[in-house]
Amino acid sequence: MIAGLPAVLDEVRGLVWPARRKTRSALPGAHLAVTHANSAEFVEYRPYRQGDDPARIDWKLLGRTDRVYVRLSPERSVQATMLVVDASASMAFPADTLLKWTTAARLALGLAGLARHGGDPAGVVVAGGGGIRTVAPRTRRSVLDEIARALEPSPSGSPALAPLVETAMRHAARVVIVSDFLGDVDAQITAARRHGAAGREIHAVHVVAQEELEPPRGARLVSDPEQPDLRRPMPEAARREYLRRFGEWRAATARAWRGGGARYTMVVAGGEPLRQSIRRIAT
Amino acid sequence: MSFLAPGFFLAALAVASGAIALHFLVIRQPPSAALPTTRFVPVARVHIVTVARRPEDLLLLLLRVLLVLLVGAAFARPVLAPRAGSVARVILADTSDAVADSGAVRDSVQRLAQSGDVVIDFGRLSTALVAGIRAGTRLRAAADSVEIVVVSPLASGTWDGSIAEIRRLWPGRIRLVEVAELEGAERPAGFLVAGPAEDPVALAALAAGIGTGDSSVRVLREAAGAGDTSWAESGGALVHWPASGAPEGWLPQVPADTAGAVVAAGTAVVFPFERRWRAGPAEGSVVARWVDGSPAAIERRVGRGCVRDVAVPVTARGDFILRPDFARLLETLTARCGMAASSSTALPDKVMLAGAGPLASRASLPVPEAVETPLVPWLLGAALLLALLELRLRRSSRERQEPAS
Repeated sequence: MIAGLPAVLDEVRGLVWPARRKTRSALPGAHLAVTHANSAEFVEYRPYRQGDDPARIDWKLLGRTDRVYVRLSPERSVQATMLVVDASASMAFPADTLLKWTTAARLALGLAGLARHGGDPAGVVVAGGGGIRTVAPRTRRSVLDEIARALEPSPSGSPALAPLVETAMRHAARVVIVSDFLGDVDAQITAARRHGAAGREIHAVHVVAQEELEPPRGARLVSDPEQPDLRRPMPEAARREYLRRFGEWRAATARAWRGGGARYTMVVAGGEPLRQSIRRIAT
Repeated sequence: MSFLAPGFFLAALAVASGAIALHFLVIRQPPSAALPTTRFVPVARVHIVTVARRPEDLLLLLLRVLLVLLVGAAFARPVLAPRAGSVARVILADTSDAVADSGAVRDSVQRLAQSGDVVIDFGRLSTALVAGIRAGTRLRAAADSVEIVVVSPLASGTWDGSIAEIRRLWPGRIRLVEVAELEGAERPAGFLVAGPAEDPVALAALAAGIGTGDSSVRVLREAAGAGDTSWAESGGALVHWPASGAPEGWLPQVPADTAGAVVAAGTAVVFPFERRWRAGPAEGSVVARWVDGSPAAIERRVGRGCVRDVAVPVTARGDFILRPDFARLLETLTARCGMAASSSTALPDKVMLAGAGPLASRASLPVPEAVETPLVPWLLGAALLLALLELRLRRSSRERQEPAS
């Protein structure tokens, strides 16, 4: 199950998660904003306009050029981060370890902790068969506990993720989707494409189980946990075809996310330490 | 039950064992496991062969085993073993003229005969024994033991020297049921010789003390007339034994030769007989033969009697007619109708005929060449029904095992 919050936070200690684009938030934070502020740090000159503070006029430049310019310095603000976590039945795999789910939950918790440590509000929406659990983005200390509690229940059901992604993108500047993308991924990509063009920072974290990448050999009958009627035998020839098809789909999914303006990262459940995965996502 | 060809049943057992072993190999769908990315697995059908702890389709297995065993049993030709201690009988009923009361014979037969027993009427015991032994061998499959029962007065007229040899062919004891004998049947009937005076045949009979004057046998030493034939047809035994010339229907032996001996009913007379006649195409039973096997005397039925044609020349020279062997030959050739093969000098040996010891058991009797196996059609019919049932059951079993895709 999910490792304790302190252990996860220890994993992400010392990491930073800079914004990839200038933020639009009015709250001061660590990320460069699209607006400018008055500070000693020089960024650029702008011609003087009526109403500018005369203290910002660069007098030396005036003496050299006879033109009046004001000095501009960068604005820094926060970037609200929302994590959309897929808690459908396909995430409960393998059934004995639930490694996909625990990896996804630890990733979400770690990214939330990383965002909060950077002063950014962090929240989560968990979509599972038991309903939608939402924690609004906040910076207060208890938000990580709330996020951890939201990630406690085991995954089940087949909820649609795209509406939640759409909602998260409207209210947060940075959206991280943690999923295996075996659901309504096309609708998610469409939403990402639309909001990415509007300046949102979107991360698609694709969680894949090792058993999905390399299914055990031997004639087996496999079934989809979200569609019990979907049962297929997998002899060796079918297994080779499955590997080809699954690989092509993963590549196509990655291309689609990137084409939609998102940053795509594939994480193999249990394949690498949490810190390494988060570093790949955040940097 | 036993099998005439048990190898087929053993083979069927081996095949049935193989069928049972194969039923432990089941073809089934492999175990199912969850895989969220199942949609990427191409559609296919697969089965794996595993060894089951218990065979599936027990009813189908039972049908197949029964089918194989039935076919094997049919080819093995089963014969039902008779009930232990059961006895089948072959009843030889004497219907010769030596029987005083034929009704008594019938009553004895009815009292003795049970379902499945064989009854053989006879006039001559030796031939009846042969037929009885043959019938007894066929009854081998029907009972645990076989008994031959002879219902007869056991008159010397029905006895001949071959009976001892024939008796040795039967391994068990024989039950003798004696009925009253017709008076005088022990001795051959006396005969009237019609012919020239001092005929050597008549002189020989006189010398041997063979009775004369009886009206049931007439020895004709001259040509036969219509009256003789009529007499024979009325029930008499006409012995046509021409002193010269051929008996009716006989042909000249060309060239005439010499036969060293003549044999009749176990009696052989060695003498250089001049053989002048040979038997014609007329049918009849051979009563005497020359040493080379050709007929010397033939008896043919006419009406209620018979005519016995004898082509043995009798000479009055020397002491030929005084010899005991000729006396026995004379006795044989002048017997009543149907009794010419008997030798009156062979006294009935009832002790030898009855024998001692147990009845002839199944094991002591030879296996007949042709054995009826009435079970075979039933077995094959049952196998056919099971085959049809197996086909139907196999189809429904296959439909149940179609994998859901």
